[in-house]
Amino acid sequence: MNAGLNRPPGDELALLQAHTEKLIWPCLLFLLYRKPAHGYELIQSLNEMGVSEGEADPATIYRNLRRMEEEDLVTSRWEAGLSGPARRLYHLTPAGEAALHLLAHLLREKKEKIEGFLGRYRELFPDGPAGNGKEGD
Amino acid sequence: MLPKSEHSLTILHAGALRHPLRECARFFGRTHPRVDIRLEAAGSLACARRLLEGRHADIAALADPVLFEKLLVPRVVQRYFVFATDQMVITFDDLSRHSRHINPDNWMDVLLEPEVTFGRSDHSLDPAGYRTLMLWRLAEQHYGRPALFDRLNEKCRPEFIYAKSVDLTPAIREGRLDYGFQYRSVAWQEGLRFLRLPGRINLSNPVYAGHYAQVSVELDSPLTGLRTMLHGAPVEFAAGRTEQARDRGLAEAFLELLISRAGQQILEESGLVPY
Repeated sequence: MNAGLNRPPGDELALLQAHTEKLIWPCLLFLLYRKPAHGYELIQSLNEMGVSEGEADPATIYRNLRRMEEEDLVTSRWEAGLSGPARRLYHLTPAGEAALHLLAHLLREKKEKIEGFLGRYRELFPDGPAGNGKEGD
Repeated sequence: MLPKSEHSLTILHAGALRHPLRECARFFGRTHPRVDIRLEAAGSLACARRLLEGRHADIAALADPVLFEKLLVPRVVQRYFVFATDQMVITFDDLSRHSRHINPDNWMDVLLEPEVTFGRSDHSLDPAGYRTLMLWRLAEQHYGRPALFDRLNEKCRPEFIYAKSVDLTPAIREGRLDYGFQYRSVAWQEGLRFLRLPGRINLSNPVYAGHYAQVSVELDSPLTGLRTMLHGAPVEFAAGRTEQARDRGLAEAFLELLISRAGQQILEESGLVPY
């Protein structure tokens, strides 16, 4: 499925575009595509992915999961552990999978724009901080 | 004359959950006007003891899921769920000594000033008490300050140790304490100022679960008979219907509210992080 070619209506597209900034939605959707997970586990996995700025803040992650549930991108149910407590388990919905592909497409577009800018920047400042493959130095 | 309630629901809960549960009770009352909801607050270990002694409650809502696992399951509660998280902070008010200068790097020096007083809750009664001791141990490592735990523990004399963490609030307001170790949600609800501590020591983040688990507190609680080593873990709150619940359907309906969208909103407005 290439959901990137099936763009949703303007408002929904704008919502997803806004969430390409901090990578939280793409990463959460990606992790939930791999397997259903608890918020606790998602926070740990998100940190291991190493793509967010700083440590994953639990309040931010849970707030985003609730918002994603409101948008029908994820769904949740309470799952009892074998011996421990029940926890809310998040699942990806078909709309969430489509959003994951669309977000990946939007991120690629954004990456191309950023690379375009950096290419022009390097032409003007070959010894600048983004020059000679030393981005981030 | 007020109409007589047809049903009652008794909720035995951690003191730190007083505000959100009161709000949930009000909300529940809109759809269940004939239900008399009774809220009874104590330190979570004290709550567990009352239940073990046979005190009636339909729902237990405690500040640490470990207490369900170690004390209440399966005799008192069969199934329980984790519904919110929080973090430990240092609370104070404008009149607390050095409150204008305290920050995440110097708080231990401020607390150790001779004229400054600070308090915590009793670790044998209340999870915030043993979490405070864990936080001090973690701080010792984090700031590279050997003996910090012993110095803080020695200075926090018995008269500064309270039955439950919410009892620190009036002590700070009345000037009996300058600072307290409490949950952020309680500071938020009570309008206290608070100092956020680094994620590696404030017991808030699952990312550091392994790091928190390096520290432990030996709990010898004659109150509950619980003698165990508790390891550091992110702060979590849990609730469950008791086996003695008089109206199981009613108790479960209340718990459903707690985990519903409306319940999540109430928890968030109370400064907690709902699951």
